Amino acid sequence: MEVIKFENVSFSYEKAEDGERDVFSFQDNFALRGVDFSVQEGEFVAVLGHNGSGKSTLARLTNGLLSPDEGKITVFGLDASDENNLFDIRKQVGIVFQNPDNQTVASIVEDDIAFGPENIGIEREEIGKRIDFALNAVGMSEFRHATPARLSGGQKQRIAIAGVLALKPRVMILDEATAMLDPRGRKEVMDVVLRLNREEKITVILITHFAEEALLADRAVVMHGGKIALQGTPTEVFAKGDDLEKYALVMPRSVRICRNLTQGGLRIADSMDEEEIASGIIGALPCVDVKTSEAGTGLTAKTRPEDGEHGRVYCENLSYVYNPKSPFATQALEGVNLEIRSGEFFGILGHTGSGKSTFVQHLNALLKVPTAEKKYKEKKPKKGKPLPPKTLLTVNGYDLSDKKTDFRALRSKVGMVFQYPEYQLFAETVFEDVAFGLKNFHEDWSEAEVRAAVKEALETVGLCYEEVKDKSPFDLSGGQKRRVAIAGVIVTKPEILALDEPAAGLDPLGKEEIMRLLHDIHSKWCKTVIIVSHDMDEIAENCNRAAVFADGKVLLCAEPKTLFVNAEMLLSRGLDLPFTAKLTRALLGKGVAIDSDFTLGDFVQKTLDFAKTNGAGMRLTDERGQNHA
Amino acid sequence: MREVSFGQYYPANSFVHKCDPRAKILFLIVYIVAIFLGKDFYALGACAAVFLLAALFSGVSFRALLRSVKAILFLLLFMTVLNLFFYEGTTVLWQWGIIRITKEALYYTLFLALRLFLLVLGSSLLTLTTTPVSLADGLESLLSPLKLIRFPVHELALIMSIALRFIPILTDETGRIMNAQKARGADFETGGLIKRVKALVPTLIPLLISAFRRADELGDAMDARCYSGSKVRTKYKKLTFTWRDLIAMFVGTALLVGVILVRIYL
Repeated sequence: MEVIKFENVSFSYEKAEDGERDVFSFQDNFALRGVDFSVQEGEFVAVLGHNGSGKSTLARLTNGLLSPDEGKITVFGLDASDENNLFDIRKQVGIVFQNPDNQTVASIVEDDIAFGPENIGIEREEIGKRIDFALNAVGMSEFRHATPARLSGGQKQRIAIAGVLALKPRVMILDEATAMLDPRGRKEVMDVVLRLNREEKITVILITHFAEEALLADRAVVMHGGKIALQGTPTEVFAKGDDLEKYALVMPRSVRICRNLTQGGLRIADSMDEEEIASGIIGALPCVDVKTSEAGTGLTAKTRPEDGEHGRVYCENLSYVYNPKSPFATQALEGVNLEIRSGEFFGILGHTGSGKSTFVQHLNALLKVPTAEKKYKEKKPKKGKPLPPKTLLTVNGYDLSDKKTDFRALRSKVGMVFQYPEYQLFAETVFEDVAFGLKNFHEDWSEAEVRAAVKEALETVGLCYEEVKDKSPFDLSGGQKRRVAIAGVIVTKPEILALDEPAAGLDPLGKEEIMRLLHDIHSKWCKTVIIVSHDMDEIAENCNRAAVFADGKVLLCAEPKTLFVNAEMLLSRGLDLPFTAKLTRALLGKGVAIDSDFTLGDFVQKTLDFAKTNGAGMRLTDERGQNHA
Repeated sequence: MREVSFGQYYPANSFVHKCDPRAKILFLIVYIVAIFLGKDFYALGACAAVFLLAALFSGVSFRALLRSVKAILFLLLFMTVLNLFFYEGTTVLWQWGIIRITKEALYYTLFLALRLFLLVLGSSLLTLTTTPVSLADGLESLLSPLKLIRFPVHELALIMSIALRFIPILTDETGRIMNAQKARGADFETGGLIKRVKALVPTLIPLLISAFRRADELGDAMDARCYSGSKVRTKYKKLTFTWRDLIAMFVGTALLVGVILVRIYL
């Protein structure tokens, strides 16, 4: 049965009266144009597309948050543009939105879940039953009386799902509901969604940027320019490599590996599954026809020459406790020892709450070592007790354990870009916003000097100075805003640049662009770049070295090559592996050892090299060098 | 990471905690009226005794109670000093130049201080033993007769509950934005008042924008969950009066009657 049906639907956000705005934007103002789309009962549909392709509009139209300008939308046989039907449609079609914080109305979980049923006038006892059911379905029963503010992102989203479930909907739409979560939270949410689809037979429409999530669906729909550009099973869709690029989507890394191998002469069918690809590689070996290839497409990081203390971070025995001496005291860092060398592109990994953000905030003294606090007085050691180990922290040559250090000078040399930095923009024009830091640090600079520096910074982040300088930062697109925010930090020419999740929330193409930009900044501008990330592929592809944080300690610190060989350790901590490492493991299981540095380019190269030297059917399983073909 | 304990709720499972929020609000009103009706130390003594009884049955530690008084300590001292020196009296106890303290002033000041002290203690006992949510529920229920004159009681209670829900989120966000601006060299700690207020602009604007964005999204999420005002709404949490509330009401009434009697006959 068709539960949702779009017939030739068009929708535009900017209605006729303010048509002047689209002069500046290169997209015309239609969010959807002539869309025909339908969903069957019980189906699991993934909707893909770059930011601004019309995905969210589709979701909002479906449950009547928006109504179409043209065409007809039918939901469970009801006309969605008829106001009188809205209530009935919303009962059947629930939406979970992106931001876990902005969907709950009450300060206690059960009260929040009761909100929906209360709205439609359900009796008290029945509401109680529905809360039981909904919490049970998302696996959060023990949090019934908890406060949402204290839960993790994944838990908050599960509560949001429960809040929708309590209305007993037959369709659930997830509008990028996992975009702001870490991998652990994403998995929690996806497990719940899958179970609801399989066991409760709820129809699911999943709007997402993550290929791995879309792969779980029965059908994938690609949106582009307000239209449906492509449809099919997820594997079919992702196999259309070149088309994907046309629609500003990025091929999943797995498919890219297959493509690159095929280009190199090792014919592998496109796949998303590492075991399948591994089998494909083994299968292709006997009849290999190796050409010289240009497989290196990755952005392999180059280390810049070391420069003494400039750009160096040295940290010994750093601990930090939030809310010390209170019942809420939490030990965020515990005896961290870490050296980040000058010239590195360094990665910091770990779960939310592992202490990585706390560590990074120490680098420019937003959090201070206790001995650097104004109030700090040296304590006399108690007799008979050994001195507590001393904390050392030097960043870019500044001693951060000394309260006499000039912290302002330090901050101009150590730039810090926070998560979602576009949320800190405030000035009337892009120029003023970027100049903010500069004017704070260099009060004596002339107008001309400031202008030159701002221009350089904006151009470095890939924006056209003349075009954007007088615009309001709030009129820019999401990706552009983030660039402006980064320009506002690098404008003081910091020698160390630390970024917390620089690519969070962007679509895959946006992510790649930001990473490319950071490499640019690294090679021309900042000596050392430090990124905090959840994304293992990002770390494997971009960093020279990385540290894994867990429970406030540094678990491992090494080059990606060494780091991801310790797969068991990472997996046991619930951390993921980059796809190349997964594939390497799968190959190893089949007796083929590929010794790459886990960047995509190197992995493909090494696999091809392996095929070349061991061509004609040689396998590693048996004695080395023996030909068993 | 920052913990925000708003409304200073003190989790426990005591007699007072279990009382109906409406009973507690009514009790507080009666208690306040009694304090203001009381004209001498006998009446205030009775109020203090009732308060001590409630505090005893609340399981809240005295330290937590006294902490709530700390906030108004300055006000208390200021009033005391003012009253002590400027209250007109006849029996001089101590004099130095034009400054003098009379017996009446001393009496009156002590009386006023005790009154204020009891007032603050009583109200904080309510917020210490009642979650903000049930406080809002209680208010909604008590004010519900106002619906007859089309006063938006339900909407008011919902606004209150949402505001409480967003306080920790916005506090966190303020911290994040301030940190981001500090990293760009913003200075919140030095300079005069005007400079400091100006320094807040780069924090307040993003905060305001974010609050609007959140409000927008929350509105959508509420719409999607069939919110349409109070028309057909039911309530999951039903407030019920129990024997505890009867006892509380009885004690409250006794106090009020007692204070009135003292006022009339003494």
